[in-house]
Amino acid sequence: MIDLLSKLCSLNGTSGAERDVRDYICSKIKSAQNSDGDCEIKTDNLGNLIVFKKGKKRAKNKIMLCAHMDEVGFIVDYITSDGLVKIKNIGGINPAAIIGRRLMFGSVAGVVGAKPIHKLKSDEKEKQPGIDELFVDIGVSFREETVEHISLGDNGYFIGEFCEMGDNLVMAKAIDDRLGCAILIEMLSKTQEYDAHYVFTTAEEVGTRGASAAAFAVKPDMAIVLEATTAADIPGVKDGDIVCKLGEGPVVSYMDSGAIYDKELYDTAFFTARENGIKCQTKTKIAGGNDSGVIHKTLSGIRVVALSAPCRYLHTANCVINKSDLKEMLSLAEKLFEKMAIL
Amino acid sequence: MKYIYDVLEGLCGAVGVPGVAGCSDAACVALELLRKYIPDAQQDKFGNVYGIIKGGNKLSAALSDEQETFPKLPTLLLDAHIDEVGMIVTFIDDKGFIKAGLCGGVDPRILSAQRVTVWGKKPINGVVCSLPPHLVKDEKKALKKEDIIIDVGLSKEQLAEFVSLGDRITVDGEFTRLKKARLTSRALDNRAGVAAILYALELMQGRELKYDLAVLFSSLEEVGGRGARIGAYRLKPDFAVVVDVSYGDCPELLVHESGRMGDGVMIGISPYLDREIFENFKILAKTHDVKHQIEVMSRSTGTNADEITVSRCGVRGGLLSIPLRNMHTPAELVDIEDIEATGRLLCEFCCDKWGV
Repeated sequence: MIDLLSKLCSLNGTSGAERDVRDYICSKIKSAQNSDGDCEIKTDNLGNLIVFKKGKKRAKNKIMLCAHMDEVGFIVDYITSDGLVKIKNIGGINPAAIIGRRLMFGSVAGVVGAKPIHKLKSDEKEKQPGIDELFVDIGVSFREETVEHISLGDNGYFIGEFCEMGDNLVMAKAIDDRLGCAILIEMLSKTQEYDAHYVFTTAEEVGTRGASAAAFAVKPDMAIVLEATTAADIPGVKDGDIVCKLGEGPVVSYMDSGAIYDKELYDTAFFTARENGIKCQTKTKIAGGNDSGVIHKTLSGIRVVALSAPCRYLHTANCVINKSDLKEMLSLAEKLFEKMAIL
Repeated sequence: MKYIYDVLEGLCGAVGVPGVAGCSDAACVALELLRKYIPDAQQDKFGNVYGIIKGGNKLSAALSDEQETFPKLPTLLLDAHIDEVGMIVTFIDDKGFIKAGLCGGVDPRILSAQRVTVWGKKPINGVVCSLPPHLVKDEKKALKKEDIIIDVGLSKEQLAEFVSLGDRITVDGEFTRLKKARLTSRALDNRAGVAAILYALELMQGRELKYDLAVLFSSLEEVGGRGARIGAYRLKPDFAVVVDVSYGDCPELLVHESGRMGDGVMIGISPYLDREIFENFKILAKTHDVKHQIEVMSRSTGTNADEITVSRCGVRGGLLSIPLRNMHTPAELVDIEDIEATGRLLCEFCCDKWGV
């Protein structure tokens, strides 16, 4: 599954531009499915990839599992007469994580410049430049040269090659939420007990737009959202502000800034984890949000539970997760799905 | 162009944060490259790489059959520093997070969530800790240099095997080709200068030098010109030309504060530098059609020239600079054509009879 995650993270797909990710996932599912073709695959108007996979048995509750395909990124909104590119962020990105980085616009590389430290006045040293003060430099001198390679509206991406780090950790861009996609692909490649819909959503990072259409179309009784969530288990952060810790298993949330989760499903998740010796934890702060927020308010309400892998430095070029959390999250997703199908 | 590109790729692929015990990788790579022109070039105990080329025409072998003899020429020192900015491990906490101090002037504003390498007994991948959005109270507040923490994902015990206090850290910034003749990498300050000198040596092949040429790739510049001071003392130059990088034009700098990228070598003048050398550079640049621009400083140059010119009983100094954007970040950016111009001007200077 690590190789799969690595490949998924290497693809570029910010909100509204998930095609490469979707095509790859689609090809993965097609090559993994049984010869009798137990998967029905379709792409909807918003670009969501909706897969129905038959299980051994019919489920009592219609289940939708979902993960989002998009990642945070950038969009070109102006090119200066000097050929420098002005960008806006797609999804929440702290400007401190943008300055001095390499970005890719298609096959064109650029760097986000910074005024030399030698020339900073003392108040400038303490101030973090906002994204409106940043420029991307692709190595040319004039607008006419830039427009040969880059157009307004083009998307830009972090460069954050997948790499192993420390004791069982991995680091890459776009782990949020390619890890959720990897878990769904993994589940789709095995024979499952029950029928289910596996949905790869679009535009989560700009307001969970894809999930609303997908939930409306699938009309599930219950949904499991697979995500990455912020972990602040780093020095200088205390108590509840840590939110969750790497290596302690997936996070099952009771509430975040977008959703209040179904209490019975929340309890079932913990019970299932205990029963199967799977590590899991909950969030110690009501923060963040994901597709659950919109899903649980769709139709006449959908019961929803979210499993999230703890991830440090979320929404930067270098997200860090623990491989064991990913494994535990896959196990819990499979077991919980089987429980929820007949709850 | 290809020569400079290849040399730079090799130099930037190696690491040389100031004061790494023994020889830094970057110095070793530079030494190898220098030996092509000076087979007996060597390295001193401070990480300086140096060598001497005797100039002038060989005297006839009348004096001795075995020994080649040269006339005594003035010594011209060419200097470029080989070190780069980085960080240093100052503390490891109970959970294995590394507290880092600056080793040279890295800009803390660019560090949050940057990928880094810790140069312990083996290279270790890490990332600079950054707070997630729910804990960032003010996005406009920059990271302070006292608050730099590195996450390498190892426990204190696991780290103890590979990392010690004092180990060096670099911010990753892969060598990447941009459009036109431009490229980006960490450490282009001052591998670009080293490449310019090597290119000048390449151009000098077969030409007559008017000086005894001392070449110095100095260490410890980013912590105060320390290597150059030691190197200049050893090499006893009469003249010196320092090659370094200077501010390339960018929206945050005024036109007169920076050199324009692609407009060629910056010829420096300051009270610390020798005006005749400056004037001579301008004449040579015009004569040989080398793209150039003038850089004016009103006091210190902020380069090794400040140290070298006051070595022993004084050295007449010149300064050539290559415009570089985003100095002291992993996104440093240069134009190869500017390095080429620098190398060409340097070569003409060494083969010109001025000062002899």
